[in-house]
Amino acid sequence: MIEYAWLIPCFPLAAFLLIAAFGRDWREGGGWVAVIGSSLSFVFSIPVTVEALQGKTLELDHTWFTIGSFQFNLGIYVDTLTALMLVVVSTISLLIIIYSIGYMHREGVRKPRYYAEISLFIGAMLALVLANNYLELYIFWELVGLCSYLLIGFWFERPAAAAAGMKAFIVTRIGDLFFLFGLILLYTNFGTFNFLKLFGTVVGPEQAGLLRIITFLIFMGAVGKSAQFPLHIWLPDAMEGPSTVSALIHAATMVKAGVYLVARSYPLFVHSPPTMLLVAGIGGVTALFTATMALVNNDIKRILAFSTISQLGYMMLGLGASGYLVALGSATAAPGYSASMFHLLNHAFFKALLFLGAGAVMHGLHDELDIRRMGGLQRKMPITAATMLIAALAISGIPPFSGFWSKDAVLDATFAAGGQNWFIMLLWLFGVITVFLTAFYMFRWWFLVFGGRPRYEGEAHESPPIMTGPLAALAGFAAISGIALFGLPKFLHYGALHLVGAQELLGEVFINPLTYLSLILALGGILLAWVVYQREWFKWEAISTPWGRFLHRLLLNRYYLNDAYIGLARNGVYGFSIIVDLFDRYIIDGLVNGIGWGSRGLGQELRRTVSGFVGDYVAWIVGGIVIILLIYIFGGF
Amino acid sequence: MAPVAGYVAVSGVLFAIGIWGLLTSRNGIKILICVEILLNAANINLAAFSSLWRSQAGYVFVLFSIALAAAEAAVGLSILIALFRKVHSIDLGKVRRLRW
Repeated sequence: MIEYAWLIPCFPLAAFLLIAAFGRDWREGGGWVAVIGSSLSFVFSIPVTVEALQGKTLELDHTWFTIGSFQFNLGIYVDTLTALMLVVVSTISLLIIIYSIGYMHREGVRKPRYYAEISLFIGAMLALVLANNYLELYIFWELVGLCSYLLIGFWFERPAAAAAGMKAFIVTRIGDLFFLFGLILLYTNFGTFNFLKLFGTVVGPEQAGLLRIITFLIFMGAVGKSAQFPLHIWLPDAMEGPSTVSALIHAATMVKAGVYLVARSYPLFVHSPPTMLLVAGIGGVTALFTATMALVNNDIKRILAFSTISQLGYMMLGLGASGYLVALGSATAAPGYSASMFHLLNHAFFKALLFLGAGAVMHGLHDELDIRRMGGLQRKMPITAATMLIAALAISGIPPFSGFWSKDAVLDATFAAGGQNWFIMLLWLFGVITVFLTAFYMFRWWFLVFGGRPRYEGEAHESPPIMTGPLAALAGFAAISGIALFGLPKFLHYGALHLVGAQELLGEVFINPLTYLSLILALGGILLAWVVYQREWFKWEAISTPWGRFLHRLLLNRYYLNDAYIGLARNGVYGFSIIVDLFDRYIIDGLVNGIGWGSRGLGQELRRTVSGFVGDYVAWIVGGIVIILLIYIFGGF
Repeated sequence: MAPVAGYVAVSGVLFAIGIWGLLTSRNGIKILICVEILLNAANINLAAFSSLWRSQAGYVFVLFSIALAAAEAAVGLSILIALFRKVHSIDLGKVRRLRW
């Protein structure tokens, strides 16, 4: 079955072509074709995953074309990491497309565009995780970026949506540029893009300096795609797209591509301790930094967006912290790697669920976005409220829901690495604080939307079964995906690197005192949110100080980082552009026009010599002959 | 037989006269005459050196040259007649329709 893995991305891509060509004439704008495409991918990825978990790997390589000595290969590579991503992408995309049939019902003529683009996205994402070389990965990497741009700007008549699409595209492009440089360096030095060949040949400390640069560049690509600090600014704005797009692309799949890239390139990264430290540092800082921004935001989807960035930071933290130990050579196992991938799986389920729930609330409340104008929705939307509660518990890290297991494993792995390096210990502290913040802002979100008293206007209604069905299915996954993994003997294994199985990873959870620390912090966060937003025993305004108001404003404005970037773009980049423009207009154009004007002036003068009168020509000829004769006579030739 | 220097001197004088005429005159007829003088200066030179080297090539060229001069005079005169019919003048300084 695993030999047919190459078919998996083909189904959604075929659906994309069909919908783009004929979608207008079909029911629901070809929505059901998209459902069929992604369900076929889902059906095929299950046996592939089962076989990969049994330890099978597969590489198919096919030369597409050759230019000189450069060979461009297309192929697939399947191992447990691929299988994990396949399961995540195909399951979630199937559920989200089914949900879309209900959610996008009112869109009318734009439906074919939506289903075509989302099918293209799913196909590209599946191909990205199946790629067996960096160049192929990069191609699909850009393709998912394109789909992200198109779908963020789905309602392009809204200026905010159009701007958000461009922002996402440009900001991720900055990271992609680094990634591209990394790939060029990789190819010029090692002569291949193929994962297995690269990981097999890249050895020895003599390449350490080169690998430091290459891994840094590749990681910058991941930073852009996974919206890590300092390139995180595009993701909150990406919420201008439909909620289903936010759920699929900006929470569950595409933003995971950055984490996947780091995980896939681990055999390169382990040769460079500084890069690993950078991965951990960026991850830890991002986790805390964006969690604080989520505390004060009032947009139902942007809170989730900040939370997504924060959780992606956890994944990077786990990868980097454990990898640092491996890179230094003081450990052979990377529990943080397994933990991060585990968190990736769990996060995909509960974050997709949260976004779909947010979409259901907006659907039921006529596109209301401000959580201060919601409240009490659990009576009107019981299924949505219950599934959201499960998701919120999962992300906050309350057992037995999935987030608890993986988040704890990540923090555990980070703590273990922290013994080696005080900086990683600091990052662990960031992670622990983030646990508290996460629980608080998620339950602030839940209590403001579903708990407390109603503050909305008009009528709210529960969503149709086609939307609540996927919600319930995802809630099931979010609840059990943590425990279910105990059944797997070996969760992930990768190349020569010894990775840790789920049981090994989680076996000591309940005897570790640090587990109880993060559990208490999470419960404390929930309790605080309950006191303030459910019971409303006191309001922040009542106890605010100038310092608190300053902090609130700072967080609400996202540390003014957005404004700083805009300022940089306006004064720095735009100023530089003006100088370049002037240089072009006056120096370059001046040169070109100057040559033109010069020739014209010269011609103007020279044409006076062409009198048309024979005598003048004769005079020129005679004068010339006389000069030649004089040279001949006196020049001594 | 007169020394060749005499012939060359006569030829040079004729050539100078022809050039001087070309440079100074604007009358079409005068210019045609000057061109004839130039050609004949060259003919004298050719004949003189042909005689000096006892070669027939120079004489042949002179005959060609005389034929050419006749043709040139015929074409030149007919152009001048056509010009006179058009502008009632043979002053070449006045023919400037196609100039700047």
